[in-house]
Amino acid sequence: MAECSKENNIFFMIIVGILAWVVPGAGHYMLKEKKRSVIIFITIVLTFVMGLYAGSIGVINPIDAKAWYFAQVMNSPMVAFLGHLTSTAPEKYRVFGRPNEIGQYYTSIAGLLNLLCIVNAVYLAHLRGTNQEHPNSTLMKQEDKYKAGG
Amino acid sequence: MSLMAFFIIANFIAPENIGTDPKAMLWLLPLTAAIAVVYKVTKMPTITAGSFIKEVVILFSSIIVFITIIAFALFALAWLIIE
Repeated sequence: MAECSKENNIFFMIIVGILAWVVPGAGHYMLKEKKRSVIIFITIVLTFVMGLYAGSIGVINPIDAKAWYFAQVMNSPMVAFLGHLTSTAPEKYRVFGRPNEIGQYYTSIAGLLNLLCIVNAVYLAHLRGTNQEHPNSTLMKQEDKYKAGG
Repeated sequence: MSLMAFFIIANFIAPENIGTDPKAMLWLLPLTAAIAVVYKVTKMPTITAGSFIKEVVILFSSIIVFITIIAFALFALAWLIIE
């Protein structure tokens, strides 16, 4: 019985992780953390879109900028579609100089921030499965007790 | 396709004109805000508007202050080497 519950928890963690990758914030939404999921979605999508606005979709370059591309694809698997689009006609979408730099910074950091959110959502799913609290809530309770002079 | 939709799509297939002047450093601000927001949203156990905004503003300001200090230190170092 306990074995089955453990397997269910691992399956749930995988589903949360995949959802959090496909749509930023969806992992937290599944964990009923609606405020967090809305904030994550808006922030990551806005950052990614600002990167595309600054440098165009040419900043997603799976051929000449592989390292950046790995970070960018952490935003969502849909970024791979943009990567495919730009790699099929590289001369049409090529971008140079400062717009390329800024676009890559924005889109890659948005991807890395989403990776942080994926890890956080999976960890929260793990804590829910083992009936534990948020890792920072114990610390906050101790702080409140300290402030109250306890 | 409407003209509006055409202009919106056009913005994403042609890069913006961003120079190498000091004004380009302002692109740092929205990115720092995004980092502060996402970091705090994963770290705070409960999210209430007041405390969340306060925490984000503190983190955002501290990142900007430290970047400015490091920039001045590097500028001073470069000036000492050149002069």
